[in-house]
Amino acid sequence: MTKTISRRDFLKVGAAGAGALALGQMLPAPVAKAAKASGLLNEAGSGYISSMCEMCVWRCGVRAKIVEGRVVKLDGNPEHPHSRGNLCPRGQSGLMNTYDPDRVLTPLIRVGKRGEGKFREATWEEALDLTASKMMEIKEKYGAEAMVFSSTHNLSQVQFENLLYAFGSPNYGTQRSLCFNAMITAFSLTYGIEEPSRNYEDVEYILMVGRNMMEAISTSETSELAHAVDRGAKLVYLDPRYTKTASKATEWIPIRPGTDSAFLLAMLQVITKHELADCKFVKEYVVGCDDLPKEMSKYTPEWAEQITGVPAATIERVAREYAAAKHNALAHPGWRTSNFINSFQTERAIATLNVISGNVMTPGGCLSAEVAAEGAGLGAPPQPPYPRLSALRLDGTPWKYPLVPLKLGVFQELRDSIVSGEPYQAHGWFISRQNPIMSLPDRAKTLEAFGKMDFIATVDIVMNDTAWFSDVVLPEASYLERYDPLLPVGDKVFIRQPVIEPQGEAKSALWIYKQLGERLGLGDYFQYEDEEDYIRQQLKPLGVSLEEVKEKGYAEMPAEEQVGEITFNTPSGKIEVYSETLKNAGFSPWPTWEEPPMPKEDEFYLLTGKVAQHTQFGTQNNQLLHKYSDEPRLWMNAKTVAKLGLTDGEWVEVTSPVGAVHIMLLATEAIRPDCVYLTPGYGHISKGLKTAFGIGASDSTLHVTYTDPISGGQALSQTFVTVKKA
Amino acid sequence: MTEIKHHAYLFDATRCIDCRACMVACSVENNIEMDKTRIWVAGLGVTGTFPNLERGTMVYHCMHCEHPDCMSACPVGAYSKAEDGPVIYNPDLCIGCRYCMNACPFGVPHFDYDKGIVEGAFIDKCTFCPQRIYNGQEPACVETCPTDALEYGERDELIAKAHARIAAHPDRYINHVYGEHENGGTSYLILSHVPFSELGLPELPEEPINEVSEKVMEMTIPFALGWGAVLTAVTVGVAAYDNKKKAAEKQAEESK
Repeated sequence: MTKTISRRDFLKVGAAGAGALALGQMLPAPVAKAAKASGLLNEAGSGYISSMCEMCVWRCGVRAKIVEGRVVKLDGNPEHPHSRGNLCPRGQSGLMNTYDPDRVLTPLIRVGKRGEGKFREATWEEALDLTASKMMEIKEKYGAEAMVFSSTHNLSQVQFENLLYAFGSPNYGTQRSLCFNAMITAFSLTYGIEEPSRNYEDVEYILMVGRNMMEAISTSETSELAHAVDRGAKLVYLDPRYTKTASKATEWIPIRPGTDSAFLLAMLQVITKHELADCKFVKEYVVGCDDLPKEMSKYTPEWAEQITGVPAATIERVAREYAAAKHNALAHPGWRTSNFINSFQTERAIATLNVISGNVMTPGGCLSAEVAAEGAGLGAPPQPPYPRLSALRLDGTPWKYPLVPLKLGVFQELRDSIVSGEPYQAHGWFISRQNPIMSLPDRAKTLEAFGKMDFIATVDIVMNDTAWFSDVVLPEASYLERYDPLLPVGDKVFIRQPVIEPQGEAKSALWIYKQLGERLGLGDYFQYEDEEDYIRQQLKPLGVSLEEVKEKGYAEMPAEEQVGEITFNTPSGKIEVYSETLKNAGFSPWPTWEEPPMPKEDEFYLLTGKVAQHTQFGTQNNQLLHKYSDEPRLWMNAKTVAKLGLTDGEWVEVTSPVGAVHIMLLATEAIRPDCVYLTPGYGHISKGLKTAFGIGASDSTLHVTYTDPISGGQALSQTFVTVKKA
Repeated sequence: MTEIKHHAYLFDATRCIDCRACMVACSVENNIEMDKTRIWVAGLGVTGTFPNLERGTMVYHCMHCEHPDCMSACPVGAYSKAEDGPVIYNPDLCIGCRYCMNACPFGVPHFDYDKGIVEGAFIDKCTFCPQRIYNGQEPACVETCPTDALEYGERDELIAKAHARIAAHPDRYINHVYGEHENGGTSYLILSHVPFSELGLPELPEEPINEVSEKVMEMTIPFALGWGAVLTAVTVGVAAYDNKKKAAEKQAEESK
């Protein structure tokens, strides 16, 4: 007698069967299957697959060597303009992030108290249902604005933003105010472009203001700078610390922290007073050229000497050398420019220096303000318009910070508003690939903000500090295990594709956001079947198949020829050294001097700054990088160490107005006597990071929250500390 | 890629930014254990007094000497010098005596105390990435270097390149290519802006040390044979004298 199987039973069997198959890996592994079909991998599952690095945001092309389904080596892709066959130590170590024994490989739901680190494993179904229901509950009870979303610079961010805009919350926390708001607001207001591109081809004179390019490695740009210096270009480098960049510079100027803009304004004074620039040529493109000499006249080198501690003669000489190099001089815009309340003015002065040298307007000049048309030719899944935002942003953009780009916001102020409950109370936080417990200043306050939350969910590949304090942890596939949306670079578009199968239950962000979207009733915003379908829709206008891109790692994308006269995306269509927008917002329309606070006699400037082996807070648990990086210590000038009766290698207590840490002291000549330096990114408090836990100290524990009213940038070097024996 | 007759490295300390990409690349490529390495950073680091400072660091691994002391010291022939450059270590022949460690003037061979006798892999050192260089790739450390501080190629060409670089920037470099002649030459050549001793490199004569030692060692057998002959002669002589003496004494006694 044949037993009939009802549809219900069949579904049950099907589901159970699929689960068993996934666990037992009885189905042919899709990555290997596709790679074998295209000939990238041989029958044994070995060969090379091209993809893209994610150890920082430079996104170098990589060629992953696969042996029997495991990635065993990453080499720089010679065809990728960001790597050109090279990788930095982080890029080389990338596979250790993927094979980190501390990876989270199943969804987790908290069972203990927050921060206790007690979780239970859950199915995706359960974890996603729980997350979506909590988010809906908060939306229904308090409005969409009560859900905070935050994420940091990544290729899937476009779909993260899609989720938050579809959900309807205005509260989006990005890392930008902790990083480069000063640069991008200054350059947006002056040139109409966030980040001008640098060209080292004909550069003869490079001025870098705290841009530690030899340790904050962007493979191709670091390489270009190194080669420029090698062929004889002059590098003048301003930094209170003798970094590895300082050691490669022609001239290192250990300027007093917070006074860079005084140095630069004095350069402008010298150049405009002595008419060292070709003003006639420049004028045509610039608003404010005529009045610049008058506006800069008070910033004499003698005045700047009093402030910066740099001899007037040196400032005058650098100004003359810079002007003499004309459009072959480059004043570098910098990157993490959130140093002082006046960092915006530093960036404005840099923008102006590049203008008066004629650099920006000269074809092939060292700084390009052309708006790149990148990505314009790619397709996207269809979607309905977004709902109206439910409220004003919590962080004061734009009602308190009128010039901060609405999309970027002021993350540290968002956190403060969560704590204060003003102007309204947030109740939930959805975090993806970000670690605000480590990155925001004043960690104690960030933990307080976490305490205000009814619900916190975090997407990450490891149990980072923020995940440790979350209610749900959604395990993401690592960058070697997943697809991300395509990345256009120049006239090519590059792909990040899985080079190995995802481990455990890890899933791509594209999949996670879609699943959540559907559960939140926002399925219309996620009209792609899966990751491959998403990329196929992107590729459609190019007429290129996914298979072709996967094989080569990229596709050609004919760039639109830009013809006609140079115009700038500013209200006047010209470069705005004089900015009416700034004036209307109540700020100085000219680059100007703003006095930053100074430490008291027994206090030190607390400096942070990158090391070549780490990226922010996300790589300290990588065992290879841990192996080859120096133990994090507190740098202090050797003479100061002696004066304080301390000794090299002993433990000290560092105290700021908001916190204290213990750290081992390094006595060195390589720092100004009025500064101390702490390697950032250490001091992890998640016990789920077994390599990084307990190593070094956290700079965010010490950092006081100071926000620049113009750019919204957090002043990360404006915290002053005292140091004593621990 | 043209075929290379004599594989070599050129390291330029003025270009090195001490990022350690080479170290990570080597570790991954050669699957080195987490507590071990085949590349090191050497040098004094930052020297001088604030604000007049200088930085001198070097990365180095096996120098792949033209006249390897490790090979010379090895009693079982576990080391060999390939005609095209690399100094090769054969773990199958190694008995773990560690003579090579004492012999190497650069302190390169490292003894693996964990594996040692159990697995028979005693010594660890740079292999010159044969799996890469014989497949058209640069060694892992060289390929990844973002500033071209490490280069790879034909030894003669790299020496010429190094001299050309000194000639182009005489103010920048010490006028010497370390490894061109030191110890009879190495296949890891070094350019520097600070004295080589500050990078931790030993001052070595041009004539390979082991040529001197080998000449002495070559005398061992003739010397042993010769000494044996002398000793035999002496023994025979002494015995004869003794016999004679005893005979004379006997005679004298008998004649009393």
